[in-house]
Amino acid sequence: MRNVAILGVGQTNHARRRTDVSTIGLSREAVLRALEDADLTMDDIDSVVVCSGPVLFAAVNQPEKWLADAIGARNKPVVRVTSGGGTGLAGALAAVNQVRAGHANRVLVIAYDKLSEGALQYSISTLYDPFWGREFAVGIMGFSAAYWKSRMDLLGHSEEAAAMVSVKNHKNALLNPYAHVKKEITVEDVLNSKPLCWPIKLLDVPPISDGACAVILGSEDAAKKSENPAWIRGMAYYCEAENAAYRSMIQSEPLTIAAAKVYRQAGITNPRRQVDVVEVQEPYTCFELSYYEGLGLCPSGGAAELMASGATQIDGDIPVNPSGGCMGANPIGATALIRLAEVAQQVRGKAGAYQIEGAKVGLAQAGGGWANLRGVAVVSSEKG
Amino acid sequence: MMNDDLERVAIVASAQTQLRSAWGSMQHVDLIGATVNDLLNGSGFRIQDIDVIIDCGSDVLDGRSISNCGFLGAMGAHHKEESRVEEDGIFGAIYGANKVSGGSADVALVIAYSKPSESSVAGYYSTLSEPFYQRPLGLDHISAAGLLANQYLTYSGASEEDLITIAFESWRKASHNKDVEMLGAPSRDDIARAVRIADPLTAPQISRNVDGAVAILIAKESVARKLSDKPVWITGIGSAIDSHYLTERVPGKMKAAETATKFALKSAGISDIKQFKLAEVSATSSANEAMVVEAMGFADFGKAINCYSENSAVSINPSGGAIPADPIMATGLVRLHEAYKQLSGGYGEVKFDKAIAHGAGGLGMQNHCVITLEA
Amino acid sequence: MNNTFTSGIGDDAVLEAQINLPYTLTTGKAAGTFLVALDQKIILGTTCEKCQKVIVPATDYCGACGGQNVGFLEMPHSGAITAVTKVDDKVFIFVHLDGADIDLLHIFHGDLSTAKVGARVTAKWPESVEVASRITSLDGFELAKDSAVGSSKPFTGTIEPISEMPYKLSLNYKHSYGPHYGRMFDELATNQRIIGSRCSACHNVLVPPREYCDICYAQTDLYKDVSDAGKLQAFSIINLEFVGQTRTPPYVYGEVVLDGSATRLIHNIGGFDITKAKEILTIGMQVKAVWRPKDQCKGTLDDIEYFQPVFE
Repeated sequence: MRNVAILGVGQTNHARRRTDVSTIGLSREAVLRALEDADLTMDDIDSVVVCSGPVLFAAVNQPEKWLADAIGARNKPVVRVTSGGGTGLAGALAAVNQVRAGHANRVLVIAYDKLSEGALQYSISTLYDPFWGREFAVGIMGFSAAYWKSRMDLLGHSEEAAAMVSVKNHKNALLNPYAHVKKEITVEDVLNSKPLCWPIKLLDVPPISDGACAVILGSEDAAKKSENPAWIRGMAYYCEAENAAYRSMIQSEPLTIAAAKVYRQAGITNPRRQVDVVEVQEPYTCFELSYYEGLGLCPSGGAAELMASGATQIDGDIPVNPSGGCMGANPIGATALIRLAEVAQQVRGKAGAYQIEGAKVGLAQAGGGWANLRGVAVVSSEKG
Repeated sequence: MMNDDLERVAIVASAQTQLRSAWGSMQHVDLIGATVNDLLNGSGFRIQDIDVIIDCGSDVLDGRSISNCGFLGAMGAHHKEESRVEEDGIFGAIYGANKVSGGSADVALVIAYSKPSESSVAGYYSTLSEPFYQRPLGLDHISAAGLLANQYLTYSGASEEDLITIAFESWRKASHNKDVEMLGAPSRDDIARAVRIADPLTAPQISRNVDGAVAILIAKESVARKLSDKPVWITGIGSAIDSHYLTERVPGKMKAAETATKFALKSAGISDIKQFKLAEVSATSSANEAMVVEAMGFADFGKAINCYSENSAVSINPSGGAIPADPIMATGLVRLHEAYKQLSGGYGEVKFDKAIAHGAGGLGMQNHCVITLEA
Repeated sequence: MNNTFTSGIGDDAVLEAQINLPYTLTTGKAAGTFLVALDQKIILGTTCEKCQKVIVPATDYCGACGGQNVGFLEMPHSGAITAVTKVDDKVFIFVHLDGADIDLLHIFHGDLSTAKVGARVTAKWPESVEVASRITSLDGFELAKDSAVGSSKPFTGTIEPISEMPYKLSLNYKHSYGPHYGRMFDELATNQRIIGSRCSACHNVLVPPREYCDICYAQTDLYKDVSDAGKLQAFSIINLEFVGQTRTPPYVYGEVVLDGSATRLIHNIGGFDITKAKEILTIGMQVKAVWRPKDQCKGTLDDIEYFQPVFE
């Protein structure tokens, strides 16, 4: 398979609400930053992949068609890939496949969401099957909380361990110039915060954000002109039928399948040892614990211990979410691409205040839907 | 697919439900499951052979967000790689082809579906526009078709009679296509006298929305040769997007269709469009179809009508095209399926060695995609 | 979300559903200014910094070249029709305002027969508007035969732009039940029976019933009754309030695997002291459906009031 690299990355300054730009203006900002980072213009871009949350979040159907005119993409191939919260990574994968096939030399991936356009609760309710379960579903939070409770009992993913995730990520976000939630909190604060869908409490939940992220991917040839590309060493995105027989809600099978595939592609046999930095998409703190196990950073049932050991702290041996993860900013449609962008910046040495020293291999995880769409990627400063 | 180190890719199977005004007895999952099963039966492929599923559908038409989430089991996507392209299925076919050609998968399933009968088509199309300048005036697919047709006639010199002929030919051909449910084809007179739904267009000149699902299977060459006796090679692909505001389009022309065709031909290594004697093109109206035919290079400005006469060198839409049967998110993939069927003996004696298929999405056909095939 | 159960499950039975969503859409600077200017009977264009095109209506970015649009121009109210169509009672036109490079879509006030391409028109303003600062704050255009060709000038006034526009999306649906859901809801309504379909390969029973097993992709071959009791697989105590909620918090959200089935059912767990939920409920415990009285049953999952823990 041909090599693919990330040539440039751009993010907006995420905010609870951006009133100065429309959705297309928000995306343009990230695109211009990515082009600048890659030292390219839109003329150099062969193809565009757009990612955003569900169209009902912002009331414009197939918004990439409006967006194209705001980023100078007219007359170029433009397509939108969607996957709920994982859309950004799904879009990146579409771009990777375009480059591998020789269909495009440089692809721009732009992922965004302006969650302030709609009332998120109302919009999320449209995810439900109109026939079955709409009366009882409680957004994504309800079932996420329910299965966290199960994991608490079966795997020891305690409220304390999840609270430590919240504390870590909030603290890390202080260093991230793009994050908008800057709050130093304690484990006590989290445990005492209002239970929304117990065990999920207020401080276990990321903010609602407006934000965009753009990543430019290119072929090996295009990467020759780049100062420090981040090479895609593996990427995969798997799904699971929402209500298949005995669907495991305790560990995510699509995640473990994607991880196994990506580690094989990247030549990783011991992620804990071989990976330098990790970015995961935690729609609630409990998921980060689950991902430690799903990604094979620790054995099943070992997540709470891993968290307590300090290994995933920014100064630990396997830092997870040094950017602050979703706790600093969570523009859902962009979040997955942000995770990829953050690890790319880490291995390029461009992560600024939260740079993990000597980071060469980065691991990103993202996903969406009813926790049944899951993707994983590994990037490296080395081509392999 | 046109590069040395990359394997060629082929379509090795396809299937489609009948296209009907309303599939009242079936849910989306029922149409999807039936299509995938139909596709696999007799193809030599099993569900386990499929590495990735690319699905195309619309949240707005389906009435739920991330609608593919509830349909994954029916698609056979469980524990496979899957990606949803919220655009016409032919764009999904590009993704599938890239995935296989680039080496990330050996076999890709591309599926597209819609049930416009369940929702408001005007709602689907009007929400495609930005919400400040065009949408609040009530712009939808019908008014967009009227405005574009008006421009086409004004600038190209084509006549209303030409447009009636294009519609007539489409309905006539579709009436012989058992995959399109129809009561009977309208006469030229019926079309001329019908309600002027969007001046200058009469109602039968605007594409009829239908429910349906279609799927194709793409495999890399080494696999295709093992399991299929009639692989049809995907030789070229191209896509391009036009301006969002209707007022910024080049009057009477579909520039993005032109660009998409150019790219497809270039990647196929073909310099002359006239080498294609079979074209399956999508359209949301008779005038739009004329513009696509001209954009592809089959006729000069205003002369698309020549392609609909008996002695036309190119056969346009032997299936009837999209005017009699437009399932919205699946229309372009149906065109690709029809072209594949023609080249692989699905219609009996194979009359063509190559074909070009086209699809589009967006208000007034903003986004275009072209794929070339060779037997 | 309003779902109406249509009586008589048979072929072509549909479930009516509505999606009604409120929004505050951010306009961006150009549209925010343009729309307010209309209230003052001013039509604004803008210029692309890069390619110099004069763009009407004013937008922030130039679609032709990707450049930033800068400054506002006050456009003349006169121009010519460049495209026209009529749908129902509305005549849509493209207007090439004098001095603009991009045409404006709007409404023509007059007979279609007079709206010829090339005809001179001038802006028509409404007597009053229901809502200010919308594209409809300009009524449209009417014939202005032989009107002089105007020109644009830089806009020197001050406009306080809006930054957001309230919007409501209403979409109606009629979802076909299909053969399997149709059968399931019919049994639920008529016999208070929950049925699933059995995979012909793995023999797991899937609720709701479906044609293909998600895992085996084999066809399901028969319907099977499943118990209205089963194992509590997961639960959460809901304190969150949200619109469309069918229960008043606090209540317990639960996922149950009914005996005889292999899939999860979402419902509520009740019939016990909810304040002691953390102590009383255990993962894996048996729960049983408590049905509403027959005359209150509508043929939906709501006919089960809640699942109650079964204590040994």
